[in-house]
Amino acid sequence: MKIILFAVVVLAVLATGFIVAAGPEPHIVIPGEVVWKVGFMPITSTLMASWLAMAVLILGTFFMTRGMKLIPSGAQNFIESIIEFLYGQVEEIAGEKNARRFFPVVGTFFLFILVANWIALTPIFKSIGWTKDYGHEIFHEMQEKAEKGKVFDKKKHFLAWQVEDAGGVGLTQPGARTFKFEIHEGEDPADALDRYIVALAEFYTDFKPQADGAHGEGHADPADVEAAFAALQADPKAPKFINADDHAHEGGAEKHHGVTSHALGITFSALEFPGDKIALVYPFFRAAFSELNNTLALAIFAFLAIEFWGFQSLGFGYLGKFFINPLKNPILTFVGILELLSEFIRIISFSFRLFGNIFAGGVLLLILTFLVPFLAPLGIYGLEMFVGLIQAIVFSLLLLVFAVGAVEHHGGEDHEEGHGDGHHSGEGHADIHHLEQGAVQAH
Amino acid sequence: MKSWLVPAASLLGAGWFFATAVILGVVVGRWADDRTGLEPTFTLVGIVVGLAVALIGGYRMLQPLMSRLGDEPPE
Repeated sequence: MKIILFAVVVLAVLATGFIVAAGPEPHIVIPGEVVWKVGFMPITSTLMASWLAMAVLILGTFFMTRGMKLIPSGAQNFIESIIEFLYGQVEEIAGEKNARRFFPVVGTFFLFILVANWIALTPIFKSIGWTKDYGHEIFHEMQEKAEKGKVFDKKKHFLAWQVEDAGGVGLTQPGARTFKFEIHEGEDPADALDRYIVALAEFYTDFKPQADGAHGEGHADPADVEAAFAALQADPKAPKFINADDHAHEGGAEKHHGVTSHALGITFSALEFPGDKIALVYPFFRAAFSELNNTLALAIFAFLAIEFWGFQSLGFGYLGKFFINPLKNPILTFVGILELLSEFIRIISFSFRLFGNIFAGGVLLLILTFLVPFLAPLGIYGLEMFVGLIQAIVFSLLLLVFAVGAVEHHGGEDHEEGHGDGHHSGEGHADIHHLEQGAVQAH
Repeated sequence: MKSWLVPAASLLGAGWFFATAVILGVVVGRWADDRTGLEPTFTLVGIVVGLAVALIGGYRMLQPLMSRLGDEPPE
């Protein structure tokens, strides 16, 4: 009985979600959306997000550590306990001497990745941004090709949402519909325009195309186009195609390129949307590490830091780990080359691990919010918080482990069997080792 | 207490490292094949090198872990 009641409640919540909060079909883009362009440099949503993470960290640290006291309290206590905990971790792995060298970098990596991942779960992410007007963009594509007298050389797929105008602000309401349009390869702009007129009429009015056969070949039926055009003209809220001749009469100084419709024989020079627009939201903020450029930047810096520490500790002897005299030991020469390769592969595995986890998490949230608007995404949000933490730990710990590996002397000939190539040389390690031995004796 | 952190991170890292090494080997091999027209040669070389790097690099990554686990006293 209880189970049935529970099931009914869950179903009711899910159903309410679909009615109240169903979102438009998610649009997934892998590169960061360009928010601004400063000179030649595009500022992407992911870059904005990493700046936001930096701002949170810098301002947070600044305000929490203002008026530092010897005996910390409140916010200062909070920050100090975090730093102390992290430092303890690093010291345990790297040893006291190395920890002082590694900690600033490793700790920064950890905090930066953690904050960037966690603020990405706040509601301002992926929801506020420019609306990119696809309704006009599709028409512009046709105008450009028609002007050059060319056909479309590539297939183009457009997906956009119905966006309402709410006092100058575009708003995608719950239950907003998705507009899809595809430009075929080798299609004439005039034919594409015909299909576009039909698609717009289908989307905005209750117009239904009559002819089925012609539709399949990628051409709109002329009768349908005429009916669709009439339907668009009749509805005051539907988009209006502006006749090129009318436009010329209005006396604009700029010249407008027209696209001539095959079926109607009218040349249109512009398209206006008096009511709802067809647009996509290009968010200001998207999870910083859901773009490969950002994770790659971190990975390259991590790689450079590791190599720098290696050279700093061992001088040019560091290269001796990779380049071994083949006359001495040809197998080790080969192994050394492979190790050199694996140093570089780390850059890629570092960047792809973080990117893959965060991007997949974002997509999962997006899709799940689309499929089941209520409740279910909550659990995934919890999971994403965990993933964000784990990825921050993994990135910084691996950086630390590799750094420890880079600064220690290569075991070479005199390494003990069963203890690896001197991986225990860190002082902290030695301490643990002693403790463990002590534990054995105590048993 | 926190001794699980490093093994966990190392294992997570090693998995991605294996995958990246092998995939990168294949991708570079295919690219080289396309450039030179020696169809399967470089792909095979790439697979072998990728596997070797994955094996050796992975071994180096997991060795401290394995030796540490080996050192641990039986409960």
